[in-house]
Amino acid sequence: MSSNAPARARRRSELALMLMAGFITVGAYVLVAFGRTASLPADLTPFFGQLLLLLAVTHVATRRLARFADPTLVPLAVLLNGIGFVIIARLSKEFAIAQATWTLVGVGAFVLTLLLVRDVERLARNKWTMAVLGVGLLLLPFLPGIGRNINGSRIWIHLGSMSFQPGEAAKVVLAIFLAAYLAERRALLSVATWKVGPLRLPEPRHIGPLLGAWALSVAIMVGQKDLGSSVLFLALFVTLMWLATARLSYPAIAAVLFAGAAYAAYHFEFGQVFTRVQIWLDPWADAQGKGYQLVQSAFSFAAGGITGTGLGLGSPTRIPEVSNDFIFVAIAEELGLVGAAAVLIAFMLFVGSGMRVAVRSERVFSKLLAAGLTTIVGVQAFVIIGGVVRVVPLTGVTLPFVSRGGSSLLANYVLLALLVRISDASGRAEAALAAEADGSGR
Amino acid sequence: MNRQLRQLTLVLMGLFVLLFAQLNVLQVARADRYADDPNNTVELARDQARARGRILTADGLVAAESFPVEDRFEFQRSYPLGDLFAHTVGSFSPFYGATGVENSHNDVLVGETSQQKLRNLGNLFSDKTLTGDVQTTLRADLQQVAREALGEREGSVAAIDPRTGAVLALWSWPSYDPNTVAGHDAAAAEAVRKALLADEAKPLLANAYQERYMPGSTFKIVTTTAALENGVPWDRAFEVERSYTPPDTTRAIFNYGQSACGGTFLQVFTVSCNTPFARLGNELGAEAMVAQTKKFGIGEPIPFDLPGPASSFFGDVGDFAQDAPRLAQSAFGQNAVSVVPLHLAMIAGSVANGGKMMQPYVVQATYDGDGTVLKQVKPSVWRTPMSAQTAATLTEGMVSVVQNGTARCCLQLASGQQAAAKTGTAALRDPDDPRGPLSHAWITAFAPAEAPKIAVAVMVKASPEVTAGVGGTVAGPVAQAVLDRALAVLP
Repeated sequence: MSSNAPARARRRSELALMLMAGFITVGAYVLVAFGRTASLPADLTPFFGQLLLLLAVTHVATRRLARFADPTLVPLAVLLNGIGFVIIARLSKEFAIAQATWTLVGVGAFVLTLLLVRDVERLARNKWTMAVLGVGLLLLPFLPGIGRNINGSRIWIHLGSMSFQPGEAAKVVLAIFLAAYLAERRALLSVATWKVGPLRLPEPRHIGPLLGAWALSVAIMVGQKDLGSSVLFLALFVTLMWLATARLSYPAIAAVLFAGAAYAAYHFEFGQVFTRVQIWLDPWADAQGKGYQLVQSAFSFAAGGITGTGLGLGSPTRIPEVSNDFIFVAIAEELGLVGAAAVLIAFMLFVGSGMRVAVRSERVFSKLLAAGLTTIVGVQAFVIIGGVVRVVPLTGVTLPFVSRGGSSLLANYVLLALLVRISDASGRAEAALAAEADGSGR
Repeated sequence: MNRQLRQLTLVLMGLFVLLFAQLNVLQVARADRYADDPNNTVELARDQARARGRILTADGLVAAESFPVEDRFEFQRSYPLGDLFAHTVGSFSPFYGATGVENSHNDVLVGETSQQKLRNLGNLFSDKTLTGDVQTTLRADLQQVAREALGEREGSVAAIDPRTGAVLALWSWPSYDPNTVAGHDAAAAEAVRKALLADEAKPLLANAYQERYMPGSTFKIVTTTAALENGVPWDRAFEVERSYTPPDTTRAIFNYGQSACGGTFLQVFTVSCNTPFARLGNELGAEAMVAQTKKFGIGEPIPFDLPGPASSFFGDVGDFAQDAPRLAQSAFGQNAVSVVPLHLAMIAGSVANGGKMMQPYVVQATYDGDGTVLKQVKPSVWRTPMSAQTAATLTEGMVSVVQNGTARCCLQLASGQQAAAKTGTAALRDPDDPRGPLSHAWITAFAPAEAPKIAVAVMVKASPEVTAGVGGTVAGPVAQAVLDRALAVLP
């Protein structure tokens, strides 16, 4: 009985945080309507109802299926999703309906994942399946018929009227593979006996499959011209290698290789690399053409100031892609530095909680997987926010949970479910230990 | 591994702190710089996709309105009266901003004044659009008459109510159709704008209140006021002479057509003799003359509720020291003197209004979306350039101009009421210039003389066709048309 106390406490905290997130979302939704039409939103009741339903479903799911899990992960995701939804609704009714639908699907996937994956370690045993599945998902857009080339990148598939980005799901699947492989071969990979020039690497037969899988994935991503995902996946790989082996040489070599590849891409004008770097350095050089998005974003940031123009009172719609890649700009314009900082803090807290889940897990695979999934969210958020504030060149990745995009939302909810599952497992183990200690101590 | 995990967390946190630092740069440190960037249309954009209220004429017509459309701007601004009020009501372009009343009363039109915002708090639970309407003093019927009478000659017509300062008509040619710049097609709007800016005749500039021109003999009203206010008697006699040579020069000042004229003050005013006024200029001296012009508000921007009004120019005392010829020429509206057409109407208005020059205004009142008055303009006196006595004397002079003088041809009103006027022919070139003469044609008038309801100033810019006539014959008929219609429709 006493082992349940921490679970109950966590779920109570989670409930309180969920209600707060819900309140903020509804409040923001009402403010948007005030800003645009000076009256309450017409669909306030159905919106409120749906939101309550989603909150209830996720909370009941964690109570039933993962009651020892960290209480902050799900509310943070819900908050980000909620803010994102409100902004998307402010931008376009059409997109809002799609996002709402995908949120429902995402929550469904969350519950389903919690139901199906009772023990994360079992996933580790299927690592080769995961590898094949991951690469397969990446290759799907190349299939004639359902694959599509949109905006120069081949990352979409169309099934009937729905379009899907399998790459988003591939990231999670390949993260599982990487974590599993590294967990298994960890010791072997820590030993570097193979001399390649001045470098000392692990034996080829150990590092080979890993490098192969990684290189294949990156090649596919580069071939698809999805450079943002390539960067993300590289970061994931390097991070997991370093975590697993504690050898700084891996990140160092990777950094050098990346710099070389980036320079080559820039020099040989691969894809949009050249343009992206140019407008990163000076978007004003082509303020009405290629630099338009970044220049207008700068103006939006400035217009937002510290407190923002107010929801519904800014003009983010003049920025192309403002509902996905540039959604952070809309938030910064209407909610100001304060609002934008709040979103940054939400991501920082999410990363912190995710890493805490990794630290608290005992088993290596769980640690690596939790760290890997958290890194995906953290680095992806950094890359896209960094791109729109011009700290790094722009790449086309979505802001997790916030941006419009069904595939991204779906993949992120599955990711969330895995994190929650790992957190629950470690929480359960801690509680069992405490119960033993209690039992044996008395 | 936990140590690495902690280090990794720090790195990721560090990345986010970096983002926060950059946000501070963009949203605080560089905010003003970005706000002033010429590429920045955020302010405009804020008002773009919003409904705007209507701008109405005094005779009940809609000069500007918005209707919903299916594009990113959501509302299309429309100007049913075409180019009639382009310079006053103005234009609203989602790309280039607003001019005229659209600019000066933008807040009311989009419902952003604190009054409107406060009133609309009560409408939170209903579905009302937040706009306001602007009621102007401009009359479409008078504006149309002015337009037709002036025709396609570059110039302007300014008509005010001298008792209140309300602007009844303010027409400038060339004009432009604001509908062409209010379009939502960025490329088309840019093309139109480029063409308008490149047009040498400057259709975007309102001649009537944003430009100033040499006034010629209409300036004699100012000089006469200076004289009367400084003790020169109305029955003063002036020598009949063909020319007058000011001190410190050998170049003589001639009368129109080198004719000889003189007589009483009234007579020289009536026929617009130059030499007496040149003499008066030197007699009164720079200080008295400059002081009088300042009393008329010359040298200051006209206190107008439209953006960008110009100011008339006479000069400072220092400009005339050691320059008696300049003072003499300035005294009858030549040399460097220039007057804004609206200002001339106001000058005539002060004569018509017992010596009080009223502050001009175009916006009569502003209303909330449901018709409640937000602000009602109260007429106010801007300057008192002369005493009531002087005003009466000048009225006598200006009536004489119509009855017996340079406006006799053209200012007999249809209703039989008496008009009062002063004509002017501003010579831009010396009479002996080999290229031939070039002068603006002016007239300023008010009617009916006993109890004036309207004061008007007409200027037709110098051109070979215009110069063929004189102020009275060229500008007179335009003023007559406007006065006739005004007396027929004004209460």
